[in-house]
Amino acid sequence: MSPSQPPSEAPAYSPRNYLNAPATGLRSWLDTRDHKRIGVMFLVATTVALFLGGVFALLIRIELLTPGPTIMTAMTYNRMFTLHGVVMIFLFMIPAIPSGFGNFLLPIMLGAKDVAFPKLNLLSFYLYLLGAAIALYGMIQGGADTGWTFYTPYSTTTVTKVTPILLGAFVLGFSSILTGLNFIVTTHTMRAPGITWTKVPLFVWSIYATSVIQILATPVLGMTLLLVAIEHAFGWGIFDPARGGDPVLFQHFFWFYSHPAVYIMVLPAMAVISEVVCAFSHKNIFGYKAVMYSSLGIAFVGFFTWGHHLFTSGQSAWDAGIFGVLSMFVGIFTAIKVFNWVATMYRGSISFKTPFAYFVGFLFFLVFGGMTGVALATVSLDVHWQDTYFVVAHFHFIMVGGVMMAFLAALHYWFPKITGRMYPEGWGLVGAVLVILGFNFTFIPQFLLGNEGMPRRYYAYPERFWPLNVASTAGASVLAAGLVLVLVYTIIAIRWGPRSVANPWGSRGYEWASATPPPPENFEETPTFARGPHEYDDSAEAPPTPAAEPSHVR
Amino acid sequence: MSAEAARAHPRLAHHFESLEKQVHAARLGMWLFLATEVLLFTALFAAYAVYRYLFHETFAEASRHIETWIGLVNTIVLVTSSLTVALGLHRATRGDGKGTALFFGLSVLLALTFLGFKAIEYTHHFQEGQLPGRFYTYGEVTGPGASLFFTLYFLITGLHGIHVVIGMTVLIVVGIRAGRGAFSAEYHVPVELAGLYWHLVDLIWIFVFPLIYLI
Amino acid sequence: MADPHATTHDAPGGHSHVGRYALVWVALLFFTFLTYGLSRLHIAGGWGVVVALAIASAKGTLVALFFMHLWDQRGANRLVFLISLSFVALLVGLTILDNATRFPLANPPGAEGALPAGGADVPPPFQPGERR
Repeated sequence: MSPSQPPSEAPAYSPRNYLNAPATGLRSWLDTRDHKRIGVMFLVATTVALFLGGVFALLIRIELLTPGPTIMTAMTYNRMFTLHGVVMIFLFMIPAIPSGFGNFLLPIMLGAKDVAFPKLNLLSFYLYLLGAAIALYGMIQGGADTGWTFYTPYSTTTVTKVTPILLGAFVLGFSSILTGLNFIVTTHTMRAPGITWTKVPLFVWSIYATSVIQILATPVLGMTLLLVAIEHAFGWGIFDPARGGDPVLFQHFFWFYSHPAVYIMVLPAMAVISEVVCAFSHKNIFGYKAVMYSSLGIAFVGFFTWGHHLFTSGQSAWDAGIFGVLSMFVGIFTAIKVFNWVATMYRGSISFKTPFAYFVGFLFFLVFGGMTGVALATVSLDVHWQDTYFVVAHFHFIMVGGVMMAFLAALHYWFPKITGRMYPEGWGLVGAVLVILGFNFTFIPQFLLGNEGMPRRYYAYPERFWPLNVASTAGASVLAAGLVLVLVYTIIAIRWGPRSVANPWGSRGYEWASATPPPPENFEETPTFARGPHEYDDSAEAPPTPAAEPSHVR
Repeated sequence: MSAEAARAHPRLAHHFESLEKQVHAARLGMWLFLATEVLLFTALFAAYAVYRYLFHETFAEASRHIETWIGLVNTIVLVTSSLTVALGLHRATRGDGKGTALFFGLSVLLALTFLGFKAIEYTHHFQEGQLPGRFYTYGEVTGPGASLFFTLYFLITGLHGIHVVIGMTVLIVVGIRAGRGAFSAEYHVPVELAGLYWHLVDLIWIFVFPLIYLI
Repeated sequence: MADPHATTHDAPGGHSHVGRYALVWVALLFFTFLTYGLSRLHIAGGWGVVVALAIASAKGTLVALFFMHLWDQRGANRLVFLISLSFVALLVGLTILDNATRFPLANPPGAEGALPAGGADVPPPFQPGERR
């Protein structure tokens, strides 16, 4: 590559890439050590989970179309929202971006050939499938009716098949842990020369922070779910008041994982957004170090806030006060990121493509979802909103409006890199509009419902809540239509889409320095990076290097 | 070490730049895994802490009714097994695979001793009715928290026992490989990692012993 | 570390670690007997558990530093270990604090100030708001 070549024409499309090398055929995929193939398999599996969870969601919304029974009994409704939560959280939200996009991109972004432990990576995928299979078995047996939060003493005494679901989640936890372990070690030990800690792409920083949480929090969940399963099966009574147990202790243990878990879900989304905002503003990130430190800040401070889920559970006032105060701090880091992203856009050269459309949606939904989160963290307000639709709307704003939008942004942004083809931009924007509009109509009414007092997980409601519930269901239909549209044109484009150029976005991310799609070893020779990962300046910051180094990236 | 010579090392994996980095990665990976093991026990220790706080008298009484001498002996056994594992690793750094196998074999014997004593203990508990939850029928210690003590006892020592078995298996596999000359003074990472896992098993017991047996 | 062969970082000059291991083992045995002996004294006021934990921590530190070689390894590994320990303290600390500072009737039956074991058909030990 000569120094004068513009970055968007960096390595050309290579006919030999990870899709067809070293071998094709199902067996070569199922036995692969290639992080890119493993990432793709995770993406396929988690997308299936997304639609399964979506089916449960639609069934819930259809049931809530009328104040009384609509299409199911109360017990079935309980199972529906439980399975919706379990599938969405454990089978989509937690693994999709890190194990899907993270697996594909992290080594490439670090100039490495693979993750540190490729066989563990494959094991992580099979554990995901095993956990999913066990949970699916439980679902076919009728599923649980405890809610995805499995609160005791109901979860330890229910007649429904809660044990397979618990065990499935336990196995899925190991998948999560192995992925996180791999990413941390890869980031520490396999960065290409020139990629110092402050030149690591922000996507990697956020995934790294996610991995820290996965390592520290997931084992506690594993143990907790195991304890519930043991008590349910054998009556050992660790949470049973009749034997001196404390049901609220379960809540402490559960939320010690599950609050950091929401940061496992949102940090990868923020990882994607940091990349997307730079690429589509054609501008360097504003405040690299701030964004970097805020990722780590979210990971750590997120561990100190779990008690805000226990405000109305009988927790002591001392604990409530401590957790309330600490919960306020976590919002600061997200605010820092939002500020930096917006500042990045300022005076940038915006290219309003589908990923950017999803970013715009993400920004608004994250801000409103986040602000309602801070409001909920205020004990005196939470007393009224706890277990109402206000909470439901809050976390769906972050989960769907934040994480799912980021997932879709990532899907479109890296579609050419992963498939070597291009998706139809027009349909992409239509899909984004449907998703964003549908989202608004689904969840804004739920804030209003919750504020007026409609409880969550209730299958029947007073008539005065009827119109808003209808609006929410209508919105859900539009959202579903948008997602189906995205699925359809994605599948079509994977198979029949036009071949993409190497770097259709003109992005300066390190991953675009590899071929599109990348060869199995990512780079012909270990690259060296003289510039930062989000640098769009044309000013020469790096001293000119000898032209004899073919893999040097300017 | 030149690039070609490093790449020629039989143990160097294709995706690592150098053997040094690969070894460092293996160690960091193991420490991260150990961190997950620590956090796995944490929920049990937290439950123990809460219930001991709430039912401190009953817990103290229950602790007096289990066989402290077995706990003491087991602690000595496990600590000694850590020594033998450390010595086994030391032999590996000298390239003495047979020495490693010997010391690891000794450690496995000590681990079996540990499990043997635990089996004796568990048998006594079964006979006395000192069992978890609804199976608790021990008349000497009654009152709230009594069955909880034994629930926690079985959960903590049971989980620990499972880890002893896992650790033993790892020691056996790595010990056999070392005896067959699979490692050298330059490269004996599996020996090191096996040792780390075993030391963690010992470390956890170091805390379990006073908390369960010496209340 | 620059030397790719130094996996366990033997001291320069070839002095082996065997002496060190033996010393640590003796120390561990000493602490084991110490904690056993002190427990027989039944130190009052909750300090017994503090002493026991202090001794256990000392033993654990010896194992981690010398048997597990944290003494001569990289910072990253030490940081991982220390952080995991601090999270143990976090979970244990805040859950105990909850039960310790709760409105007493909210604690499990049989605990001090809570309902007696066996349920609520026995009069509670004191009325809410009443000071003991």
